[in-house]
Amino acid sequence: MQRRRFVQAVTTAAAAAGTISAQQAPAPAKITTIAPEAAADPTVRFFTAAQFATLKSLSALLQPAANGRPGAIEAGAAEFLDFLIGASPKPRQTLYRSGLDHLDTESRRLFKKPFTEITADQADKILRPLLVPWTFDPPSNPHQRFLADVRADVRTATQNSKEMSQVAATANRRRRGPGGPAPYWLPIDPTR
Amino acid sequence: MPKQIYDVLIVGSGHSGGMAAGVLTQKGLRVLMLNAGPVPDLEKDRVFKPTHELPYRGFGNPNAHLDHVFQANEFNANTWVNEKEVPYSHAPDAPYNWVRVRLLGGRSLFWARQSFRLSDFEFKAANYPGGAGDNWPISLADLDPYYSRVEQQFRVVGRKEGWPQFPDGNFTAGVEGTDSECQKRMTAVANKMGIPVSRMRAALGDNGLASSLNLSIPGALATGKLDIVPNAVVREVTVDKNTGRATGVHFLDRHTRREMHASARVVILAAGTLESTRLLLNSGIANSSGLIGHYLIDQLYGCTVVAAMPEARDGKANPALIGGGLFMPRFRNLGKDEKRNFRGGYCLPMGTGSTPDAKYFPEYGPALQKKLDSYAGACITGGIYGEVLPRYENHVRINKSQQDAWGIPTLHIEARYGENERNLCKDAADTMEELYKACGFEILVKSDKVNPPGYSIHELGTCRMGDDPKKSVLNKWNQSHDIKNLLVVDGSAFVTGGWQNPTMTILALSMRASEHLAEEMGKGNL
Repeated sequence: MQRRRFVQAVTTAAAAAGTISAQQAPAPAKITTIAPEAAADPTVRFFTAAQFATLKSLSALLQPAANGRPGAIEAGAAEFLDFLIGASPKPRQTLYRSGLDHLDTESRRLFKKPFTEITADQADKILRPLLVPWTFDPPSNPHQRFLADVRADVRTATQNSKEMSQVAATANRRRRGPGGPAPYWLPIDPTR
Repeated sequence: MPKQIYDVLIVGSGHSGGMAAGVLTQKGLRVLMLNAGPVPDLEKDRVFKPTHELPYRGFGNPNAHLDHVFQANEFNANTWVNEKEVPYSHAPDAPYNWVRVRLLGGRSLFWARQSFRLSDFEFKAANYPGGAGDNWPISLADLDPYYSRVEQQFRVVGRKEGWPQFPDGNFTAGVEGTDSECQKRMTAVANKMGIPVSRMRAALGDNGLASSLNLSIPGALATGKLDIVPNAVVREVTVDKNTGRATGVHFLDRHTRREMHASARVVILAAGTLESTRLLLNSGIANSSGLIGHYLIDQLYGCTVVAAMPEARDGKANPALIGGGLFMPRFRNLGKDEKRNFRGGYCLPMGTGSTPDAKYFPEYGPALQKKLDSYAGACITGGIYGEVLPRYENHVRINKSQQDAWGIPTLHIEARYGENERNLCKDAADTMEELYKACGFEILVKSDKVNPPGYSIHELGTCRMGDDPKKSVLNKWNQSHDIKNLLVVDGSAFVTGGWQNPTMTILALSMRASEHLAEEMGKGNL
């Protein structure tokens, strides 16, 4: 085969192959995914079973569902805090663990029952002395500090939950403040 | 011979660096800008997300969260300097909140856009019995034309008042709403107490962004005279041993750590107060006064006093009754006969019509929700921006035992507030309480505590300007007394800090210094 005809043949074959390839390639499919929370339940890994049960009962007292808005239980606040506190520095972990243990110890001392089994009025007798007026610096008493922190954390975990977001969407109002949409900065391309 | 010798090399790309680049390129000078971080793309690098889609529901990664950077949150976690890469130190009992951004544009991407001029109560503080510090070598009259041009460029809106402690600016026309009943009442009561009441002054910028990234740097690039090298971590300013002149800088590539040298006829430091000072200290230059790093100042932020308007509680809040802000500029230590237990002054920025934070009520569950519902939209919040005394002992120095990720020695910061600041804060909290009570409001929270130094992100001083080379680092044109072709145009030059957000002053100083520099270079004096 003369060189010119050989080149022509190869070029034509390549072009034809490219055409066939392009014709046969399926249109790129849009791959959709879902968040893990939509498919699975969180595993409680940080707190002991007793501590987690206390946290769950406490969260229900601190942030109950009301007026069609989800509470801490519906928002999975305790499960989320198990993850968050488990990933936190040691002092915060200690504050939470000792705080939860203290509530249960007090419950058993005062009412001969674990914190999970006492009534709301009985729980109030334990919680009320730990509630102190706001000061710029956090309370120095670790149990008071724990209650101040867990109160804020449960509230935030509830407000920022998907469940709360869905309620806001259903009410057809744009959420502002905690939990609402905001511009999120992606990691900046380090090569730019 | 170096590959290129630029007319001017600028270290840093925030407000001051961007302004310098804009002015100098317009004058026809060839400018190289080095920035320690990457170039953000505001279209691609930001996406709207609901909080529940963030991995930590808005709490932020507890192991990477910058606790001392109170402005840091999970939405902007990727914008702050990685403090494991660039650490700094302070005494355990003297925390300092150093907030840094190394993206092109620096912190100008994130500032609150509050735009004020300093007055001669700050420029000439030593002339007043209650003044907080020494005199600058310049006055308001010297800076006035530059302020005017900056205000025009940044489109500052505000209300003209004619008060000497709150100089009016070259304001863009804005739209002011009708005052609510709450605003009217507070204004009347404040005026009776001798407290002036105005409105916030703020830069509109362009589409809500007033950054070097959109207001200064694009124009400079359009001249074709500006080259920008991102990810360039500057290690040292180089000086010719024979002439004593700055010749350029050594910098390292942020990723590869490869070291390069860039050459220029003039070097301008605009890396932010403490980074510029760190660079000078690490370079061991321009410090015949021994004052580099000293007289670190910032501004007091805090002093929380929250109240409620009884008539607006229990669902009765409405725009005619409550809502809108008030701004009460400095009113202390203005008179020659005024006797206070502190020097300097503060302003009171206030908002009305808010719902209080749940933390202010020692309640939980339904009782807490009842409180929040009752006070929804009925609250008045006040705080202060307060003046900090410039003190020699508040300083930064190089920490020789610690290096950053590029092997550059880090900074140790020693800054404490003293009795003057504590007395000022007490006066502010008491004054707010008195004002609220006279308005018939219910006080919910009162605290005269302020956040640690650095919180305001208004670190200033450490290379103060002055006429005497023995008592200052820079002259009145932001030039080093020791090295005439070395300038520092960021907040380092400040002699007093005032209570005002310093951005307009930094921009005006940078513009003034850059124009003077171009003029001197044109004459062949540099």
